[in-house]
Amino acid sequence: MRKSKSLKRMLTGTILAVSTFSLVACNSSETNSAASGGDDVTKISLYSSGSQNVETFWETVIPKFEEAHKDIDVDFVFVPSGTGGQATIDRIVAAKKANKDSEIDVYEGALADIIRSEDEGGLFYELSTDSIENLENVQEENLEGTQNLAVPYRASSVVLAYNSDKVKDVPNTAEELNTWIEKNPGRFAYNDPNTGGAGSSFVLSTVYNELDDNAMNVQDESIIKEWDKGIQILKDMAPNLYKEGVYPKKNQGTLDLLANGEVDMVPAWSDMALEQINSKLLPDTTELKQIDPAFTGGPAYLMAVDNGDEKRREATETFLDYVLTQDVQKLVIDTMYGYPGIKWDLLSAEDQKKFEAVSGGYRTFNGGDLSSELMKVWQKEVASQ
Amino acid sequence: MSREVALRESYVMKKKTKLAVLGIGLVMPSFLTLLILVIYPVALAIMESFQNEEDAFSLENYQYIFTEPLILQSIQHTLVITFISCFLTLGLSYILAIYLNFSNSIFSKIINKLYFIPLFIPGVIAIYGFLNFYRDNGWVARIIGEGNMPSIIYDMKGLLMINVWFNIPFTTMLLLSALQAIPRSVIESAKDTGASKLRLFIHFIFPLSYKTMLVALTFLFMGLIGSFTAPFLIDRNAPQMLGVSMQQHFSVYNEIGQSSALAVFMFVLCSIVGYVYIQNNMKKSKKDLF
Repeated sequence: MRKSKSLKRMLTGTILAVSTFSLVACNSSETNSAASGGDDVTKISLYSSGSQNVETFWETVIPKFEEAHKDIDVDFVFVPSGTGGQATIDRIVAAKKANKDSEIDVYEGALADIIRSEDEGGLFYELSTDSIENLENVQEENLEGTQNLAVPYRASSVVLAYNSDKVKDVPNTAEELNTWIEKNPGRFAYNDPNTGGAGSSFVLSTVYNELDDNAMNVQDESIIKEWDKGIQILKDMAPNLYKEGVYPKKNQGTLDLLANGEVDMVPAWSDMALEQINSKLLPDTTELKQIDPAFTGGPAYLMAVDNGDEKRREATETFLDYVLTQDVQKLVIDTMYGYPGIKWDLLSAEDQKKFEAVSGGYRTFNGGDLSSELMKVWQKEVASQ
Repeated sequence: MSREVALRESYVMKKKTKLAVLGIGLVMPSFLTLLILVIYPVALAIMESFQNEEDAFSLENYQYIFTEPLILQSIQHTLVITFISCFLTLGLSYILAIYLNFSNSIFSKIINKLYFIPLFIPGVIAIYGFLNFYRDNGWVARIIGEGNMPSIIYDMKGLLMINVWFNIPFTTMLLLSALQAIPRSVIESAKDTGASKLRLFIHFIFPLSYKTMLVALTFLFMGLIGSFTAPFLIDRNAPQMLGVSMQQHFSVYNEIGQSSALAVFMFVLCSIVGYVYIQNNMKKSKKDLF
C-alpha cells in the first residue's frame, strides 16, 4: 500500500515535470539565444512559489543576474500558491530516494522544508561564507534555525492595518487590541484562517498569547489541550467582529473591507498592505503597526538542492550570493515591499525609515502540522458556534 | 447454389467483422482517453476514500463525514441551498420562457436577445461585481441608504441570488426550446374550441414541457451541489457548502481520505439524480422506437 502513494507522488511529479517542461520550453527560446554566445553555459533552475509579487520579483532579478553572469543560465519555474507548491519538495524527495537528479537547483521554501530535509537524510547543500560571501550580511535572527541549509533572503510579517482617520486610540498590545474590538463592535475583521496567512496568524497569535513564550516552538500534540483559553477568547470576540462574526475569505477579503470603510482595522501581511497603500488600492489614511506580543511572520528561504553536480552547485552559490547583494535587496524593498534579508543598517536611511512602523519584528511559529490542526479546531469551535 | 449462398454469407461475415474492428478502432482513442483521464483518477479517489492514514482499508473517512456535526451541518446546508436554488431557478425560468414564447411584444423580443448574457460573463468576475453591488456599503446601499440595506453578502440570501442569476439563462434556453417544440396548431385548435388560458396551460403546455423541466432540474442540481467559487466568496464561514468543505479538507488540513470520501458522497447524490434523468430519457426513446 505504501507503494501506491509513492507511485502517485511519482505520477504527480511526472505530470508536474511535463507541464513545467512545456513552460520552460516556451521560455527558453529567448534565454538560449541570449546566452548562446558563451560556449560554457551552466544551466540551473529556480523553483519558487507564492503570490504574484514573488513572480514579478524573480522576473526582474533573473535577467539582471544573467546579464552580470553570462556563463550562467537560470530557468525560472513559478508554481502559484495554492496550486501544489508541495509537489516541488515531493519531487526533490522522490529524486533523492531514487538517486536521481531532481533538476531543481534553487528551491524557495519554508522552514518546515528544512525539517523535512533532515528527516529524509539531507536534501540541500550546506552553505558557508566561503562560497557565499554575502551570507555575512544576513540578519542573525533569520539565520537561526536554518542550520546553514538556507538563505533567508526576504521576510514579511502580519501587522495591524488601520484607518488612521477613524482609529485614534491605536492599540499597542494584544490586550489593548481585544479591548478595542470590544469597544468598537463590528469595526474589526480577520479573514477566515483557512484561506489566508493574515487570519491564521491572528488566530495563532491569540491562542499562543495565552501560553508560554516557548510554546510556538513545540511540535508535540499534547499542547492542543492548552488551546482552550485562546479559543474561548476568539469565541467571545466573535459577536463584536464584522457582522457579528463573519470572516471574509482570503487575505484580500479583509483588505477590501478596510478599503471600503466597512471596518477600521484588520490584520494584514506587511508586504501586501504596503504594496496596496503605494498603489492607492488602500486609502492614504491606512497605517500599519506591529503590536506586542507581535503577530507571526517570517523569512522566505532559498535552498540549494543537492544534485551532486559540482558545476551547477557553483552556479547556484553564485546566484544565492547575488540575491543577497544590496541591489537585489533594494528590489525586495521597492518591488515586493518585503523586509530585506540583510542587516537593516546596511540599507539607506530612507529605506530604514520606510519600515519604521512595522519594525517591531515578528514571531515565528515552528509548530509544523499543529497550525493546520488549530485551523480545524477554529472551524469547529469558532466559525460554527 | 448452396456454395453461392455460403460464399455470400462468408463475405457478409467478413464485412461484419471488418466493420466491427473498425468500430472498435474508432472508439478506442476516446475510450483510452476516458480511461486515463477520468476512470483511473476516479478509481484512485474512491480507493483513497476507503483508506486510513496507514493506507490500510478502513471506513474511518465515512465514519468521520457521517458523524462529525460540522460535516452533517454542511451536508444539510448544501442540500437546502441546492434545493431552494433549483426550484427558484426553475420557477423563474419557466415563467420567463412562457412569456418569451407566447408574447409578441417588443419588450419580450428585447429580453429574448438579452437574457443569455450572464452565460458569457466569467464566474469570478460576476461574483466580484455582485459583491460590489450588494455589499453593505455597495452601490445598492448607496442608492437606497445604507441603513435600509439587508445583509446579502456573507449570507444565504446572497448565495441564492447569485445561483439563480447564474443558472436562469441556460435553464430558460432549455425550457424555451421545449415550448417552441409544442405545435402551434394544437394550441390554436384548443383556443378555437374555447379553452381558457389556465386550461390551455394545465392540459397542453405543462404536460408537453414537464419532461424538459426534469432534464433542467438534473442539470441544475448537479451544477449547484458541487459549486465552489460562489459559496467560497459569498457564503458564511460555517456551515459551508460541500465544495468549500472539500477544498478545505484537501488543501488546508491535508486530509486526502476525508475529502475523497466527501467527493464520493457527492458523486452518489448526483448519480441518484442522474438515474432519474437516464430513466426518463430511456422511456422517451422507447416511445420513439415503437
